[in-house]
Amino acid sequence: MNRPARLSLMLLLALAWLPAMAKTPIFELDIRDHLFHPEEIRIPANTKVKLVVYNRDPTPEEFESYELNREKVIMGGRKANIFIGPLAPGVYPFFGEFNPRTAQGRVVVE
Amino acid sequence: MKQLPRLAQGVALCCVLLPLQGLADGSVIDKIYHPYVNQLEWELEWRAVQQRDDPVTGEARYQTHKLGLGRAVAEYVFAEIYLIGEASADRSLQVRAWEAEVLWQMSEQGEYLLDYGLLFELEKARDDDIWEYATTLLLERELGRFSATANLGLVYEWGDDIADELETTAALQARYRHSPLLEPALELYLGEDTRALGPVLLGMTRIGERQSLRWEAGVIWGLDHSTADYSFRALLEYEF
Repeated sequence: MNRPARLSLMLLLALAWLPAMAKTPIFELDIRDHLFHPEEIRIPANTKVKLVVYNRDPTPEEFESYELNREKVIMGGRKANIFIGPLAPGVYPFFGEFNPRTAQGRVVVE
Repeated sequence: MKQLPRLAQGVALCCVLLPLQGLADGSVIDKIYHPYVNQLEWELEWRAVQQRDDPVTGEARYQTHKLGLGRAVAEYVFAEIYLIGEASADRSLQVRAWEAEVLWQMSEQGEYLLDYGLLFELEKARDDDIWEYATTLLLERELGRFSATANLGLVYEWGDDIADELETTAALQARYRHSPLLEPALELYLGEDTRALGPVLLGMTRIGERQSLRWEAGVIWGLDHSTADYSFRALLEYEF
């Protein structure tokens, strides 16, 4: 790796220290009886948001969405933070991989 | 995760050592690791690389195969063990080494500008006193439907049958998330005896509840005389 490439890499990595300059909006989602509550979450376009998912069931569930590029197991009785966006306006479905027939929802970006 | 100091340590280590060391010898074409762990997951994996010929020994169709079994042992830690075999046009497949690895996810996906993690690998040759230990910094950034991934490794080799050596490796991947079944990507590999670049296709299909099959296949072209003219690489992974 030559010197300019290393300097570019170091600069790129240094940027990773920077926290989000604006406060990240927080949205909450519950998993109860293998269902997402609410089923639909509306978030602003082009903004990173933090989704706090509480699993109220005693069994694990997995929040999964190819469209959101996220996959996260949440153990029973626990919560997880899932960061999504910034996203273009549109509808982004998600589902629970442990109960894909019932646990379904969508993020509406507007 | 409030773990930025860990990134600081990893970055500092790489930035200090990358300029000081040579690049890793032998082919470093392999899979690109992503800095994520999926809790409760098990993985059965086969991957292989076939070079047109080994530029060092001249062996035609030199192949390495890895068969691995892994599982998430904690929310952010994945461990895997491998048997490593090699073959060529003149030699049948034989087990050459074993390897153990641990992947540590250090940030939540999308939380910071870069997602990051560390990979620790220990390899031992079966018939020779050759050990290899590697620490690799895994970085990933999502840009819309594109994902860029970097694997920056420090490798130490030692033993009675090899000259002790500290080396570096770099592997980069740019991937377009077209659909679960088909994601085209471009990969670049850099090591002491490797300068290679080529297209790879990646994909995943669900085969049942909490079961999926991932695959990767690509052709990586050598960019200099010390790298095989072309290498095929393939991976098949059963997740459950």
